[in-house]
Amino acid sequence: MNLTRLALRNIAGNSFRSWVVILCAMLVAGLALATTLVIRGAENSLNLAINRLGADIIVVPEGSETKVEGALLMSTPANVWMPDSVVAKIANVPGVGVVSPQLYLSSMENSPCCSVSNMFLVAYDPTTDFTVEPWLKQKIGSGLNLGESVGGTYVFVPEGEQAIKLYGYYLTLKANIEPTGTGLDQSLFMTFDTASDMARISKTMAVESLIIPENSISAALVRVSPGVNIHDVAVEIFREVPGVLPIESLNMFQAYRQQMNGLLRSNLIILTITWALSVLLIGLVFSMAANERRRELGVLRAMGATRVFVLRSLLMEAGILAVGGGGIGLILTGLVILLFRNLIVQSLGLPFLLPSIPSLITQAAGGLGLAILSVTLAALIPAYRISHTEPAVAMRE
Amino acid sequence: MIQLDNIHRTYILNKDSVVEAVKGVNLIIENGDYIIITGRSGSGKTTLLNLTAGLTRPTSGRVILDGVDLWTLSDRQQSRLRSQKLGFIFQFPSLLPTLNVLENVVLPVIFNDKSDRMAAFERANELLKLVGLESKKDSYPRQLSAGQQQRVVISRALMNQPEILLADEPTSDLDERTEHEIVELISKIHCEKGITIVMVTHTTKLASYGTKAIEMVEGMIKNSSV
Repeated sequence: MNLTRLALRNIAGNSFRSWVVILCAMLVAGLALATTLVIRGAENSLNLAINRLGADIIVVPEGSETKVEGALLMSTPANVWMPDSVVAKIANVPGVGVVSPQLYLSSMENSPCCSVSNMFLVAYDPTTDFTVEPWLKQKIGSGLNLGESVGGTYVFVPEGEQAIKLYGYYLTLKANIEPTGTGLDQSLFMTFDTASDMARISKTMAVESLIIPENSISAALVRVSPGVNIHDVAVEIFREVPGVLPIESLNMFQAYRQQMNGLLRSNLIILTITWALSVLLIGLVFSMAANERRRELGVLRAMGATRVFVLRSLLMEAGILAVGGGGIGLILTGLVILLFRNLIVQSLGLPFLLPSIPSLITQAAGGLGLAILSVTLAALIPAYRISHTEPAVAMRE
Repeated sequence: MIQLDNIHRTYILNKDSVVEAVKGVNLIIENGDYIIITGRSGSGKTTLLNLTAGLTRPTSGRVILDGVDLWTLSDRQQSRLRSQKLGFIFQFPSLLPTLNVLENVVLPVIFNDKSDRMAAFERANELLKLVGLESKKDSYPRQLSAGQQQRVVISRALMNQPEILLADEPTSDLDERTEHEIVELISKIHCEKGITIVMVTHTTKLASYGTKAIEMVEGMIKNSSV
């Protein structure tokens, strides 16, 4: 017989209190993990998407920034166009190092090639591109030729097929890029020539033609010259090139960041309310349990248990219940997020990338820590009070 | 030896209600004594027993156990003293409901750092044999009668080989036959093991079992006889 065994027996012997505490610990740990996981997942995803774009400034048609961000982050179709003459104008702006135009297209609904309903198609100019080509050269040793493509992590060649069929056009999938948790995961990258070829073929081979307005582009990616202030260049582009909006990469996805902050705020409010109610409920349940066990604890004191022993014994029960409940909460939350990730992403309208294992362990430890702290804090006052009651008083009816 | 030196214990129930449960009691409990404390309900006998064991702090006066003033000791020292020198039998069911009989008997060992924990279960079995409940060692308190539970409590009280056994109305909830058996058992322990016994009872007929009888009236010792 020892303290731990005594605590375990008391836990088993007081099932009402045990289940209430386990449930509260589950809620606190689960909510804490869900909040950090979703918010950090979205944040990681945004940062990764910015890094993957590899541009200092992205220039889009004025008024279309939300559409472009939606396409890049959530793969929502973006039909935005501006004259390709802006590329030369941007290139002439002092401080601009490289400019590379891109076309943002979308696949037909429920395309058979993909595990997702809508696919975002990005066409780039291989002669000026500084985002896809360097990656491709590093990955497969060469750039893309006519009819070739590189896909996001969720893009695959349908079973039994040799290539991806889009608008009646067959595209060879050369490689897949690592997951980002954003719309890039369901994007297909190809050169301007391939996109033009696809548009040409689609007129005769597809139910619905792919239309690329002549002499038009969707966006221009800008890399500034070394040592030049990005913000100054963006301001200069805005001033010199009419009809466009330069977005600095660090300021990209502002609408999503605001949405994320809103979600974080509401989650924190829910977490705080849940936490406060749980602490109150656990405190109440522990007070009731300690009161019910007054005599028993008085008897222990009479037999030679010190105040510290009684306090430790009650806090150990609280700790065991917190670890048990918190652990279950973490496992359930992890499973729900893992299994229903796509549904959560869709309903929240935010990108999401599962964190790395060390980050996941840290977040889970944080959730468990919060559960243990909450339960211990709630149990502390009743445990302290009963442990400091005179044994004779504790044993009295 | 325990010496109670001009002990007072006052309970303040509320602003207008103060109860003087024990008033200026002087008492010496010698090693080997078997003291029966009798008195009506509210006469202060249980408070006197609790004061003797250090379970409640006197409002004034001293409790000296083997030359040490109990209330000059820290909680840890007091607790150690209780676990090593005192054994308790309470009038209410005091077994832990989540532990079985054997575990209940062994329980005091975890508070006694001088105890040999390896030999504890062997000793617990011997004590259960002494009270005739060896066969019930795996039962839980709820599966025992009130008399059987009280026998287990006696075994538990003897677990750390105490010098003094303090019994607070140990037979109050028992029928006459069981009461007799329990008191006989306590007397046997006194005779065979030489343990000092202080027993509180409201039944004057049990006074004959002791070597000393004390009658409490309104918080004071009215009669003391050897």
